[in-house]
Amino acid sequence: MSDVSRFHKIAPVMALAAALWAAGCGSGEPAREASSRGGQGKYTIGMSQCNLGEPWRVQMNADLREAAAKHPDIEIIFKDAQNDTLRQRAHIEEFVSAGVDLIIVSPKESQPLTEPVARAYAGGIPVIVLDRAVLGDQFTTFIGADNRLVGRAAGEWIKTKLGGKGRVVELKGLMTSPPAQDRNRGFREAIEGSGIEVVFEADMKWLEADARKEMESALARYPKIDLVYAHNDPGAHGAYLAAKAAGREGEIVFVGIDALPQEGVAYVVQGILDATFQYPTGAAEAIDAAMKILRNETVEKQITLGSRIFTRENVEQGGAPLSQGAGAP
Amino acid sequence: MTEIRQRILADPATRVLMALLAVLLLGVIFSADGAFYRLATHRDALRQASVYGILGCGMTLVIVTGGIDLAVGSVLALVSVVFSLMSIWWGWPAIVAVPISLAVGAACGAVSGSLTAYFRIQPFIATLAMMVFARGMAKAVTGGAKISPAVPQPDGSYQYVDVPAIFRAIDSRTLFDNLSIVTVIFLLCGALSWALLSRHRWGRQAYAIGGNEEAARLSGVPVVRAKMLAYVICGFLTAVAGICQAAQEQQGDPEAGAGYELTAIAIAVIGGTSLMGGRGGIGLTLIGTLTIGYLDKILSINAVPEAGRLMLTGVIVVAAVLGQSRGR
Repeated sequence: MSDVSRFHKIAPVMALAAALWAAGCGSGEPAREASSRGGQGKYTIGMSQCNLGEPWRVQMNADLREAAAKHPDIEIIFKDAQNDTLRQRAHIEEFVSAGVDLIIVSPKESQPLTEPVARAYAGGIPVIVLDRAVLGDQFTTFIGADNRLVGRAAGEWIKTKLGGKGRVVELKGLMTSPPAQDRNRGFREAIEGSGIEVVFEADMKWLEADARKEMESALARYPKIDLVYAHNDPGAHGAYLAAKAAGREGEIVFVGIDALPQEGVAYVVQGILDATFQYPTGAAEAIDAAMKILRNETVEKQITLGSRIFTRENVEQGGAPLSQGAGAP
Repeated sequence: MTEIRQRILADPATRVLMALLAVLLLGVIFSADGAFYRLATHRDALRQASVYGILGCGMTLVIVTGGIDLAVGSVLALVSVVFSLMSIWWGWPAIVAVPISLAVGAACGAVSGSLTAYFRIQPFIATLAMMVFARGMAKAVTGGAKISPAVPQPDGSYQYVDVPAIFRAIDSRTLFDNLSIVTVIFLLCGALSWALLSRHRWGRQAYAIGGNEEAARLSGVPVVRAKMLAYVICGFLTAVAGICQAAQEQQGDPEAGAGYELTAIAIAVIGGTSLMGGRGGIGLTLIGTLTIGYLDKILSINAVPEAGRLMLTGVIVVAAVLGQSRGR
């Protein structure tokens, strides 16, 4: 065959290879975050984030950077696994061979990350597991919030707000993910036995557009809705927009979770949401624990983060902390 | 009598209408306490289907030429982010922000089109690369965060601005509150696409290229230019969809539109557009949009669990397409 047509046959393959290589290229390059120059006496921390598609995780990395900036003797290398478990495994192995002083990992999934973490830990590198746990106990410490407690706290607040009875719409996050399952379970545990009735529930997959669509269906079907409980703030916002379009936003209470400053907290300030519950990123606690570990002090095996509630009354003061046992049965 | 019936059944419009009627029948049977009969349900079903419908129109134009555009979801996100950035954070008036946003979409289409038409890269691969690239660009614009009315200040706090008037205008209703503006925009896009495909010389060229590209080329059809135009128009329509998406969310989300390209393709295919090219029409795509839109709405008002929805939608898409290949 002629050279021209051979090129036309190879070009698509080359283009595909180039596209795939470009897509995979980004996460492998470490983004060096140096707090100060000079290698003597500086600790290197490797941080593997499961994805930077969720704003909450973007916030986590930003919080980590901010907390690390207060300690000039640590330097964090951030890697983004782009929601790919195998890529995250590779991150851990890369950190081990680079000889970092400490690893922070926010896993995508527990099972596949357990062994790489255990190997790093056995090899003498301390590992802090953040937000999602791995199995077993072969790591230094696990720092995370408890979505079930958050869900329960939301349920308790809703019970008080509605006086023990009312018609509620629950807009759920992706129900194949543990956070949504826990936020759902905690909420149901809290409202059990009360006069609160979940008249409509749907899986809006954490997405605002889907939440709006489901809320429209709920509004069309039920002439009386008292409250919307959404598993995240974008979902609550979508429900608000649907209710506003129907002219019913004044008669419905809106509750969300996550309380990111530019999202959930902003919505409470603007009067869109009535309450949001913080799901903390744990970044400050992680850096504190890292400093302790690097100084050879002991840390607890499991650190459960507290949560805060932001309502119209307390948002100016930065919300109020929830006690650990808030809403426990 | 049988001959007339066979002729009617062989008409693609009939089969698509039958699929739509079957879905509507489903709604009558499972009317969710009468919710299916309320006007609000239909108005909202049209609202939620409009963005997909606009993408479906652009996708039809591209598929008719024998190509495909996998990038529409990502370009929608890119335009949504760019439009929000200009309107919300920079406060630019709509008269400036809208044309620039449309141009961004058209430019992405032009890149896809030139990769396909000039460099002869297969449309699947060219638009797959654009899909990845545009998603990356959308994230690069914002650093991964959404563009919302909470504007970050240099000192770390947030200043809250109003949602721009153009956003409110697009997300409003007309006709005594019974018709969403985005549905009107969708119908306008449909009319424009229909005129291009059925009444303009370009449309005939597109069908010819999709039917037999070599024969079209030998007959003097400007294949490269015509194909380019298909992707540019698709990019333009994707930008319209992106603007509508931003208005309906009151924010620009770099993660928006994930998977929308598959829905757009499903709409075109249910509407009778063949993925081989050379067959299809905008009128049928509109019916396909209604079919998918109403199916989604009926599953929603009946609060069908997610797993069931996914399986049912898959089955019905296959059934609708099977019903078409029969009469070939």
